[in-house]
Amino acid sequence: MANTLVEQAKFTCALGSIQTVLAIPKGIPIVHAGPGCAARQFAFAGNAAGYQGEGYAGGGQISCTNSTQTEVIFGGEKKLRANVDGALKILNGDIYVIQSGCTAGIIGDDIQQVAADYRDEGYPVVAVDTAGFKGNNYLGHELVVNAIIDQYVAGKGKKKIRKGLVNVFSSVPYQDAYWRGDLEEIKRELQGIGLNANILYGPESAGISEWDDIPNAQFNLVIGPWVGVSSAKKLEQKFQTPFLHYPIFPVGLKETGRFLREIGAFAQVESQRVENFIHREERKFKEYFVSFGDLVSDLGPYLPYQLYTVADSNYGIGTSKFLIEELGFTPEKFYAIESPGSRNEAFISELLTQIDSRYEGNISFQYDNRVIQDEIRDELKKTKVRSVILGSSWDKKLATENNDSILIRLSLPITDKVIINKSYFGYRGGLTLMEDIYSSLFDEGMITNTTHADH
Amino acid sequence: MAELRQIAIYGKGGIGKSTTTQNLTAGLVKAGKKVMVVGCDPKADSTRLLLGGLAQKTVLDTLREEGEDIDLERIVKTGYGGTRCVESGGPESGVGCAGRGIITSIGLLESKGAYTDDLDYVFYDVLGDVVCGGFAMPIREGKAKEIYIVASGEMMALYAANNIAKGIKRYAGTGGVRIGGIICNSRNVDHERDLLRAFSKELGTKLLYFVPRDNIVQHAEIHKKTVIEYAPDSNQAKEYENLAQAVIENRDFTIPTPMTQDRLEEILVEYGLMDLADDYKI
Repeated sequence: MANTLVEQAKFTCALGSIQTVLAIPKGIPIVHAGPGCAARQFAFAGNAAGYQGEGYAGGGQISCTNSTQTEVIFGGEKKLRANVDGALKILNGDIYVIQSGCTAGIIGDDIQQVAADYRDEGYPVVAVDTAGFKGNNYLGHELVVNAIIDQYVAGKGKKKIRKGLVNVFSSVPYQDAYWRGDLEEIKRELQGIGLNANILYGPESAGISEWDDIPNAQFNLVIGPWVGVSSAKKLEQKFQTPFLHYPIFPVGLKETGRFLREIGAFAQVESQRVENFIHREERKFKEYFVSFGDLVSDLGPYLPYQLYTVADSNYGIGTSKFLIEELGFTPEKFYAIESPGSRNEAFISELLTQIDSRYEGNISFQYDNRVIQDEIRDELKKTKVRSVILGSSWDKKLATENNDSILIRLSLPITDKVIINKSYFGYRGGLTLMEDIYSSLFDEGMITNTTHADH
Repeated sequence: MAELRQIAIYGKGGIGKSTTTQNLTAGLVKAGKKVMVVGCDPKADSTRLLLGGLAQKTVLDTLREEGEDIDLERIVKTGYGGTRCVESGGPESGVGCAGRGIITSIGLLESKGAYTDDLDYVFYDVLGDVVCGGFAMPIREGKAKEIYIVASGEMMALYAANNIAKGIKRYAGTGGVRIGGIICNSRNVDHERDLLRAFSKELGTKLLYFVPRDNIVQHAEIHKKTVIEYAPDSNQAKEYENLAQAVIENRDFTIPTPMTQDRLEEILVEYGLMDLADDYKI
């Protein structure tokens, strides 16, 4: 898919991966770009990710060369070195990642050499060319993770493989607005079946010591259709660490059970332990489910069951599968917004049609939300059927103006909700998603319409 | 007063653009013209013969060290016969963006009022090929409307000239830029004059002047002078004066018609350049 002009891009550029560095506890991005580049990233994958704050060393306070004309003409390495000196002096970090933007990328500043010189002096400095023109922040995320592995983790070397230790590669921090809650739940569930996870990002991570520990893991776990696969392959090459690629981001009772069983088998965890955990979680899940059964039976008929998904393939597939498989939703259309490249597109299409054959012909790889909205609007007008839209704050009007559809904010930008540790991952995430969908019945225009005199 | 003629000189690296431009400038000065030469090459050696050495501080160095608030006198030096000499300068080899440097430099010259009414000619001596948008700056936005390409009978010089013509054609529609002709800086290649004539014709222009090869040019260069200053009575000085006259009188400005690679090679074969290798003997 290639648009000539994009009105509402669902992602930002490769430099947006500064948010990946910020997601590592005491990770310090050093931006080698023009004024405004870093702020733009924060505005999209920070503020518009449910107001997650500037973090330890990001947002408007980020370390940046603010390159201008002089750096473009004469090269910016000198200014970058001054900037790194300053950052090392006043920012107390565990890893410093130099990230170049477009201008430095075009003129070809040798940021790799700059980083190598600091490493020679013993500083944990990594460089990665994340020039915006190279691609989007999904690509940028992969570039950053792989650069840290190549330039930092590789130097740590493998000590002793610890059975039960797993490195988790999953969603893109901040671009997945629920990443903190997701990683917390992933870690909890893996612990539940007896594994110890290097979760790498966010409050549940021990920080750089987890990255140092990457080579010692028993295996790497990639959750989701494609993000993280390249890192797992890299680690397999470098440290001979096997990896399990579980392409579905599990949400709800059934998929999470499958997920945990497959991991358990791969990691050779005693199956009884896995089953015990699953049993406990399922019992809780069912009890919660039953507890709001009254509401479902009373007001369920008012709930729309047509499903439109506008999200990246990671979160989008996970949540849609749960709604279709466990709650009986009807898939209408899936918009994968992350521009994953043709090979991944084929894989994503295959996954979706395996989940439900009704997805055949109803999958679109589109990252311009304006185009997506126009299509959904036309469809809703034509069918006059109320629907559930898994989308973003941009789709608020679309949902309300069309037959009182329900909007679940799944993808960026999310500017009308605050997100702290919410997650739709796993057992707890499935319950949260149900909670949100059924709560929407009480949004203005939903149930209220049914008792309204002129309705 | 006649309208200011802004002229850009392009050509393959090492073909003799700077030497030709400065000797041509000396010829124009001798004909009573007021000339400014703007070197658009990071090496900053486009005005050496006019200034008697590399005495020039470049625009970009000045800009880097002192900012944009600089007096014109700091960057415009007076050389042979009152010529005004400017070196754009640029980054060290292998870093930064020289193209952007040229854009910035010319912009600064304009804003500082370097293009005074008394000037008859401004020459832009541009590095090598038109490698990117920055090096096309003199022909973009109609800064230089007149282009001369310095070439010789050597194959690579003609390849480069043809490529440059493509750049000129690209900007001909919007900037009003035209090619004024080919200046041959002779390398004593066989059939050179005929080849250049045929090449120029195919390119939709003409061979403006054939500058013969003469070692006095190198002698003058060693003495940091143009030939006209170094040996005013020499034959070669006369040649450059004639070249200046040809430029003064030139009124044939066209949009070039660059040729395909195949056609270019046909011409080379036609004039015997391509099969010279067969005669090669030790």
